[in-house]
Amino acid sequence: MAIDMSQFYQVFFEEAQENLATMEGLLLELDVEAPDLETLNAIFRAAHSIKGGAGTFGFNDMAEVTHVLETLLDRLRKQELTPTAEMIDAFLQAGDVLKLQLQAHQEGREYDELSKAALCERLERLAHGTSETGQAPASASPGEGLRRWRLCFDPAAIGRGAAEERRALFESLGELGTIADLGTDDQGRQVWRIETSSRRAAIEEILAFVCEPDQVLLEPEGSEDLIAHQPGASPGPGDWPSESRPRAEPALPAGAQPIQEGEGYGFFPDAPGAESLIDQEHEGFGFFGGSPGMDQLAQVARRARQDAEQGYGFFSAAPGAPPDPSPAPPSPKPVSRDGGAIPPQVPKRPAVTDSSIRVSVDKVDQLINLVGELVITHAMLADACANLDPVAHQRIMAGLSNLERNSRDLQEAVMSIRMMPISFVFNRFPRVVRDTAAALGKKVSLRLIGEDTELDKGLIERLADPLTHLVRNSIDHGIERPEVRLAAGKPETGEIILRASHRSGSVVVEVIDDGAGLNRDKILAKAARLGMPLPENPSDKEVWQLIFQPGFSTAEQITDISGRGVGMDVVRRNIEEMNGRVEIDSVAGRGTQITIRLPLTLAILDGLSVRMGTEIFILPLTVIHESIQPRPQQFKTVVGKGRVVQINDDYLPVVSLHQVFNSGLPEPGPSDCILVIVETGEGRAAIMVDELVAQHQVVIKSLETNYRRVEGISGATIMGDGRVAMILDVDALVRLNRRLG
Amino acid sequence: MSDEQMSAASEGAREYLTFKLGDEEYGIDILKVQEIRGYDAVTRIANAPEFIKGVINMRGIIVPIIDMRLKFNLGQVEYNEFTVVIILNLSGRILGLVVDGVSDVVALRRDQIQPAPDFGAVLDTAYIEGLVSLEGRMIIIVDIERLMTSHEMGLVDQTSATAA
Repeated sequence: MAIDMSQFYQVFFEEAQENLATMEGLLLELDVEAPDLETLNAIFRAAHSIKGGAGTFGFNDMAEVTHVLETLLDRLRKQELTPTAEMIDAFLQAGDVLKLQLQAHQEGREYDELSKAALCERLERLAHGTSETGQAPASASPGEGLRRWRLCFDPAAIGRGAAEERRALFESLGELGTIADLGTDDQGRQVWRIETSSRRAAIEEILAFVCEPDQVLLEPEGSEDLIAHQPGASPGPGDWPSESRPRAEPALPAGAQPIQEGEGYGFFPDAPGAESLIDQEHEGFGFFGGSPGMDQLAQVARRARQDAEQGYGFFSAAPGAPPDPSPAPPSPKPVSRDGGAIPPQVPKRPAVTDSSIRVSVDKVDQLINLVGELVITHAMLADACANLDPVAHQRIMAGLSNLERNSRDLQEAVMSIRMMPISFVFNRFPRVVRDTAAALGKKVSLRLIGEDTELDKGLIERLADPLTHLVRNSIDHGIERPEVRLAAGKPETGEIILRASHRSGSVVVEVIDDGAGLNRDKILAKAARLGMPLPENPSDKEVWQLIFQPGFSTAEQITDISGRGVGMDVVRRNIEEMNGRVEIDSVAGRGTQITIRLPLTLAILDGLSVRMGTEIFILPLTVIHESIQPRPQQFKTVVGKGRVVQINDDYLPVVSLHQVFNSGLPEPGPSDCILVIVETGEGRAAIMVDELVAQHQVVIKSLETNYRRVEGISGATIMGDGRVAMILDVDALVRLNRRLG
Repeated sequence: MSDEQMSAASEGAREYLTFKLGDEEYGIDILKVQEIRGYDAVTRIANAPEFIKGVINMRGIIVPIIDMRLKFNLGQVEYNEFTVVIILNLSGRILGLVVDGVSDVVALRRDQIQPAPDFGAVLDTAYIEGLVSLEGRMIIIVDIERLMTSHEMGLVDQTSATAA
């Protein structure tokens, strides 16, 4: 069976983007005058990872660019070349080209070849052109002589015994110089001999791709080929000759000199400190490395560089050291690998990887679904244990209450993943207000309050459009022209306040303006003209709700901004779809306040379960005003308008669940039923049910996933007994009821 | 599976699940079938057509249940412990089909399926891929995905159906 590689593409894209970002960051950080070997190594590794990934997934154009890039970087980090500003430019350019290529692959097209060819040429020229200038730093000198390394390993331990992997390793090592297979020794270990000018680190790096560093014994062979390790007298060979690397402190040459900053007496490009870096590197080395090792490395590198600036950068492997360094007084403050002397420093810039991870929203949603299942499972367990004697089954009961607490905590923690500050929406408004006000010739200032208020990411995205409508409406209809404002004794500049806050389990977003306010008479006149049904002596609230009717606009002049009468009904629908509600308060001459109430999340709801016949429905707790057991004489009938119930001095429409949902069962008598008084978009209404059952926290499931929208129902949930219960949409119920009546 | 069916399977044939609706035997692509379960704990959907029995909770997923016998006026409709629901997965949309019984899984080659004549089945021929004669039985091969997403069934919002 062929493996579909495309399923891994996304992983590669993300990794490559991360590697590119790392590379760019390191490049910008790199000091051309005194390049840090570890930074160069880190850049090399980033490029190498991209190349490996690109090759694996068949993105050959990216592999090609990274290959040329890598060649140049390799020479740099081996200090065969010194970096120049031109090179850094070329690297950054390469990074840009790679980014574009990556983008092209993500969108499934090919990146144009021209700039790639030009770039490759430039990089190659840099890699070869300047290599003969004789600027080879002193530390490269040990590399000039060939040295022999003896490599012993247990064939079974490497590459899980795969012969191909060993052969590949053999070939890669062969690229460093000449390699010979000496067969197996008396302990059954495979022995290879490598003759190379490369240093130990280079060999170890290649080994790291296939095995753990400690699985391989790498030792220099033939001491006659080795430049003796002579502390203080001459520069060290740059490679500690045996596996047991000396600790930094004792190994320091007695006559080591303090290194003046920036001058880079890089005696020990691979001194113990550097070795330790490589050790760390092994821990986190991988092809797709946004690896922790990188991060560590970068931090150590940074620390080393800071040390260098303080004048004791022994291990900052600075190239460009004078060819003939003179002996020097002892170090004032040696830095040991064990770290005591490394002063804690405030990092100069934020860590390479920040403390957050990118996770797809699908995964978070899946997590939320699973927690939802857990909540349901708990409800089922609680249901099953409801009849047990609490004393006899004390442990079960204690366990259940623990489970409840834990799952609630878990639920909150998971929910908080999806929570985002509302500033994500609010931040667009300064611009919206500025542009809108300028277009209308009005002066408006905007104040944002409570931008840190958090709510569900899904809600934030859906809140943007309705809020934009409301703010534009406020500027267009609410705020008066400057001269009108002055005449009315108000400041010339109008003010719009966007305020978000948490209030009793919901999020409240308010759009407040200090404009003219809604004109009651005008709205009523317009409603009459449009033939809208009007209650007699309507309350202000009822009048304000009229502007949410489709096709309603009182703007005298239709402008680009608003007035076409498509705004407010869409606003209300959008918000109701989020299980939220909109309310308007307005005082003529003083301003308008539009309040949007939203649930904290789309996923979970506090609800009251009610019974109709044998069926259970859920009413969202946020809409419930009160529940009453009515007396028969409270019911009245209005001809053509169905039933109403008198509560205090108000007559509220009665919505019978039996009637709207055609239960086919007889309705309970007026004295047997329960009325739940709910707040709807059109004022209060009484929902007639058989019985109130219990209060639950329910997980909202969409009916539309596998079915379609059902009028009067906003969603479904799963009850403790495993059955499905419908969640009622009171606004739709009232509309349904009116149609029936 | 018989030798003949084995050889059919190796020649690029597809497998079909056959089930009974009244006296007729139907076959649907087995790749669209997610599982088969009993009929249990269905919650009614208000104001839905009669053939939509309601929804069930299938491991946290809300799945609508359709009774094809009611939709096509076939046979006696009774629900007992032997009533079978075929759970279908149609491009990610999951729904359950109440049938009189699941009979078999058969492997059929393309050339074994004959085009359907314009009559003979209660289903609109637009949703019928063809007829198969197998051991004296006639199996009607149904394009179940097309049928279930059709306007006739009303299972999908009109808007989402056109958008899909």
